[in-house]
Amino acid sequence: MELQRVHSFLESSAAARPDKVALVHDGERVSYRQLNRAANLLAGFLVQRGVLPGDRVVILLSNGVKYVASYYGVLKAGAVAVPLNLETGQETLSRLLDELQPAGIVLEQGAGHLLQQFHLAPPSVRFLLAADASFAQGGAHLVWGWDEALTGEELPQGGRTIAPDALASIIYTSGSTGQPKGVMLSHRNIVSNTRSITEYLRLTENDIQMVVLPFFYVMGKSLLNTHMAVGGTVVINNNFAYTASVIRQMAEEGVTGFSGVPSTYAYLLHRSPLASFRDRLPNLRYCTQAGGHMPRDIKERLLQVLPPHTKLFVMYGATEAAARLTYVEPERLPEKLGSIGRAIPGVSVRVLDPHGEELPDGECGELVASGPNIMIGYWNDPEGTARVLDSNGYHTGDLGYRDAEGYLYVTGRKDHLLKVGGHRIDPQEVEEVLMSSGSLLEVVVLGLDDPLLGKKLVALAVPLGGNPSDRSLISFCHGKLPRHKVPGEIRLVAALPKYPSGKIDRVSCLSLCG
Amino acid sequence: MDLKDEIRSFVVDNFLFGDAEGLTDDSSFIREGIVDSTGILQLVAYLQERYQVAVADEELIPENLDSVQRVATFVEGKRGGGSCAGGEG
Repeated sequence: MELQRVHSFLESSAAARPDKVALVHDGERVSYRQLNRAANLLAGFLVQRGVLPGDRVVILLSNGVKYVASYYGVLKAGAVAVPLNLETGQETLSRLLDELQPAGIVLEQGAGHLLQQFHLAPPSVRFLLAADASFAQGGAHLVWGWDEALTGEELPQGGRTIAPDALASIIYTSGSTGQPKGVMLSHRNIVSNTRSITEYLRLTENDIQMVVLPFFYVMGKSLLNTHMAVGGTVVINNNFAYTASVIRQMAEEGVTGFSGVPSTYAYLLHRSPLASFRDRLPNLRYCTQAGGHMPRDIKERLLQVLPPHTKLFVMYGATEAAARLTYVEPERLPEKLGSIGRAIPGVSVRVLDPHGEELPDGECGELVASGPNIMIGYWNDPEGTARVLDSNGYHTGDLGYRDAEGYLYVTGRKDHLLKVGGHRIDPQEVEEVLMSSGSLLEVVVLGLDDPLLGKKLVALAVPLGGNPSDRSLISFCHGKLPRHKVPGEIRLVAALPKYPSGKIDRVSCLSLCG
Repeated sequence: MDLKDEIRSFVVDNFLFGDAEGLTDDSSFIREGIVDSTGILQLVAYLQERYQVAVADEELIPENLDSVQRVATFVEGKRGGGSCAGGEG
């Protein structure tokens, strides 16, 4: 029978290959049997605490074995897994807890400020599970240690009846503007997307994935689920900043897949021993990239540096789509370098005009997606949901077109368009040109309020070294862009603010401009 | 100011906004959320410029760079021609 719940992937792999290594982290190797048992114990603990189907359980953990056991344990109990960014500020955290009204929170030292102030947690919270603490006392109390919580009884497999359409997870988007939104994904959403991804990446139990992206980010979650689904192995490395340790571990573990967002690859190309390890990554079958537009220049350099047998999958998606919407087949990438590819199996992505009519090839409109992976809606936000979901599907907010072969191209985001002196300018186009100068690690183009033009274009650029001058960069732009698209100012900075996923935080970049 | 104090000052000024509370010589930059990946690039650029040492890509490992103490030992090793962790493991 086809599996219909997210945690069934883990259960099925644990039954088929109990002794296979599911997770590798910091020298620890955890088998499918051990992982499934930990998740069953966690589920048993939740049921004991009175957690009911549909209750939210917040997970504030960094990537690790306990995160994975908690995630699947929450799902097994029929509850809703809400992983949050560990670095969420106190104010935002209070707001999110207030809107989620969770039954409990699993957290670690890094989120200890919450533990110290748990009186701020809403009254719905019946337990706090401190994953890296141990408490001797038993009985009725609020704060539990990990070992203490996992000494109870396992929830037997199938112990809770869960409908395929039941809410499985709420994932907060970083959001390009304003407050983060809680994306509600059902078991069906995640299961269908997991299946599509394993199909087009041709994942098998022999696959070993290096994960440097956080699991609370939808792409990290997807890496986890797809590998649990095929009985593969996930290698967790939380030290991406030290790129040599990541590359070395990839070689040691015989990693077959690596995944990143554009800044991951920019960083690897600029400051890592990737090139010198080319001959020592014989198993690296593929790399995937999603999480926003990656400049052409970086794709080209990556194709040169990666081992010749390593395929590069450029992909596109959204949290609202349970992660994935489209991909470019690696063999077509050189001729479709600017494309996000075609829809993944079971999904359709169309280019629509503002009236919902499909546009002919080559004409620019909004990318609208439909399929079993599209979210239920935003948590507690029917208005926000109605703005993006309608009978046509999910309105991505991304603008683009389709070529004669059905390949899609994103030209920018609706809410990033800047009105400069009567022209509508897409910052992505300007960023792409600046990156093609070859002298920048990364760049963001923003619109600052201007009394004359409405907005004026300012670029924040991180030089690769060699310190290019802002004048030379502006002059480079003049050679490639019409005058109105050339930034009025280019500020060279040491780094750009980013979300933990590695995506550039445009709001914080804007506040840097003062 | 000795080497360790200078490194500590750089970290406090650039990543902790002047608030040194809780930063010990052995605090892990990454695990404790003090520095992110672009911060490590900034730190390495600072070491290269300030102490005129070359940091190879292969040396970008936590053993060399993940605390004030480790950075100080790493730089001292480089300046004294001693051996550091990293390179070909």
